[in-house]
Amino acid sequence: MTNTQIPAVRPQQPVAEAAPAPRPSARERGTRLLAALFLAPTIVGIVIFTVVPIVGSIVLSLFHWNVIDSPTFAGAANYREMVNDSTVLVSFRNTLVFMVLAVALQLLIALTLALAVNGRMPVWLRSVFRSAFFFPLILSAASISVVMKYLFNQDFGLVNWLLGLIGIAPVPWLTSENSAMAAVILVYVWQQFGFSFLLFVGGLNNIPKEIHEAASLDGATGLRKHLSVTLPLLSPTLLVASVVGIINALQVFEQPYVLTNGGPGDSTRTVVMVIYETAFEQLRFGEASAVGVLLFVLVMAVTALQFRLSRRFVHYQ
Amino acid sequence: MTDSHFSRRSLLRYGAYGAGAAALAGTAASWDRLTGADIPGRDDGSLVVATLGPAYGPEAIRTLTEGFRKSHPDIKLRINAVQATDWSDFFAKILTQIAAGTAPDLVYVATEGVQLFAQRLGVALDKWVKRDADELREYFADVHPSLVESMMYEGSLYQLPVEFNAADIYLNSQVLKRAGASFPAADWTRDDFTALLRDMKKSSGSQFTPYFWTNRLWGGVVPWLFANDTNLLSESKAPGGAWLWDSFYPAADRQGRGGGYRWTTPQATHERVEEAYDYLASLIQEDLCTRPEGGNGQNLIGVFSTGRVGVTPAGGFWAGGLNLAGMKPGSFDVQYFPRWRTQRMQFGAAGYALLRTSKLQDEAWEFIKFASRRDTLMRLFETNQTTPARRSMLTADRYREMGPSHWQVFYDTLDKFPDTGPIPAPPQVAEVEQVLLKHTGTALASRRSVAPALRRMQSDLEKAMERDV
Repeated sequence: MTNTQIPAVRPQQPVAEAAPAPRPSARERGTRLLAALFLAPTIVGIVIFTVVPIVGSIVLSLFHWNVIDSPTFAGAANYREMVNDSTVLVSFRNTLVFMVLAVALQLLIALTLALAVNGRMPVWLRSVFRSAFFFPLILSAASISVVMKYLFNQDFGLVNWLLGLIGIAPVPWLTSENSAMAAVILVYVWQQFGFSFLLFVGGLNNIPKEIHEAASLDGATGLRKHLSVTLPLLSPTLLVASVVGIINALQVFEQPYVLTNGGPGDSTRTVVMVIYETAFEQLRFGEASAVGVLLFVLVMAVTALQFRLSRRFVHYQ
Repeated sequence: MTDSHFSRRSLLRYGAYGAGAAALAGTAASWDRLTGADIPGRDDGSLVVATLGPAYGPEAIRTLTEGFRKSHPDIKLRINAVQATDWSDFFAKILTQIAAGTAPDLVYVATEGVQLFAQRLGVALDKWVKRDADELREYFADVHPSLVESMMYEGSLYQLPVEFNAADIYLNSQVLKRAGASFPAADWTRDDFTALLRDMKKSSGSQFTPYFWTNRLWGGVVPWLFANDTNLLSESKAPGGAWLWDSFYPAADRQGRGGGYRWTTPQATHERVEEAYDYLASLIQEDLCTRPEGGNGQNLIGVFSTGRVGVTPAGGFWAGGLNLAGMKPGSFDVQYFPRWRTQRMQFGAAGYALLRTSKLQDEAWEFIKFASRRDTLMRLFETNQTTPARRSMLTADRYREMGPSHWQVFYDTLDKFPDTGPIPAPPQVAEVEQVLLKHTGTALASRRSVAPALRRMQSDLEKAMERDV
């Protein structure tokens, strides 16, 4: 398999003479106007709801502001305070650990199930599985977390009760530093893997059958066929799923907030939780914005790194 | 090139599209649209009162609005029930409203936020209290001075308390019976409490938790700190307040009163604080109580009413909650928090705080008086969802159908233990509470983790208290 990725910028053709561009016809002008009209709501929305808040956060990160009084200029003080705040640093570490484990588990489960569902089975059963695996994604993360909190409760939870029936002592799912992060990851992955699963099912369906048949004729079977044929051809989908998964995981909030409130200690406190607590509970909007800006930079850096690495690992047909 | 002539079919199709679009546009244009006046409290001249949503249902809101309209037909009132999970969440939402320029005139504020609002947002009620002293004499005679003092800040009064809840101990009668234990005496000690938990555990098996508590500022570790004669932050009283005490309370009640509480220096590493944590850690090690992260109020009523929990700290608010959960009078009862070095107990109170930004301050004062009237509170607290601040409202009649049998405990926690005081809630309360919850979780992981966790708590509390809100 060769890497046939299309270069981002096409080489420019030599132009003999710069001829004046022909004046667009009335029809073309109309088409452009129509395109602009259709794009306008999206562009306006992005500017209002994405660009302005990002710029606003960057500006706010340079001020002290408690909502009640007028903001005062702080320069880089919020950033200095942030790097000296152990809770902030721990939250970044937790978020990165969470991201690595959750995204890896999410992709592994989704890919395994997609391969299984894509195998031989009746169409109706395939539809049932697709719907079942996607269903948790349409539920509210907070509601799911409330239910899971009941299920994982050490003293009164269903999970420990079931384990007790087979003689296993109660597990401190949410009350031990060792298991709390694992429980948060499990709940998160259970809800999120459906999206990656659907992407993989779509990606698998796009792989031409002929390639699999050719591989079979060459003697490839089972795992070898998946490793050498399916995975390389699925790599663009894997890239999309991992980029989306990583961006979502870096912003995780509901599950740790509801399940453990960041505890025990700080063991499940994530960056977005710190932003929320700093801004809306402690009224330190400037410092919260500084943490937000750093998270934004982290997300951009991780995503850029992924795309950079993808040049080596992603294969386009 | 394309044919510029329309076919008959195309003409009909575009005609239909046009008619549809016109119909849609007409419908949209005829609908009432939202305007600035639809934003609660903006530009309609109403007196806006923000309350904690879950505590104020539609019936309570109707009681307040209709009752106030009858008394003051000239004042337009709007109750804005803000949905929030707890007081901290509620204050965050109120502050967001203030930042958005839609500040209410009055906010229902509990002890957790009294000093934050007083320091940064509130208006002292002193001038109105002095002006209407004759009218208010009956109110103050009916309300314990500790509750009033908890609403004072640096010598001024910021709220009239309408409700409070002290952390007393609820006991499940069925579990007591199963353990062969009798109802504890009013002067029971920490050791009696521990012995009772052990008896309950022995008789009720591994799926049973004798003591359920919630890791929060009210009713968590703080009652044990108070019982051990200490506090999370050093406690003192601000000077002043004589204007109120001398006007409304007899000499015996004035003693030791000041201008409100001051919580200043963190003392998490104090040996008595460590003792209290050691004690709770020992209960956890013995499997006699929930771990801090395990206990939350959401499922407490369920597990208590079904006999899976023996005792828990709660206030008068729980009488109504247990009744709703189907518990009959006699199936539960309440006793004071056990004595350790002292039997000082903790409470939280709530009332309406008037915001500086309000342009309707005189009207707001009228509402504050209306909301603290006995007849208003009688209608508002019919279901015993809280303990009324007025002593005269706690009667045998009120608790006959719901229980508990020892309902007198609720107000006697103040009357018989006059040193009972509010939970520590300085203006930096949000950060203090967060530090407390976080390090309590780590401290109680084992007995050995108590001291290092309290050292970290001390350091974080010092930082929090240094910060200007």
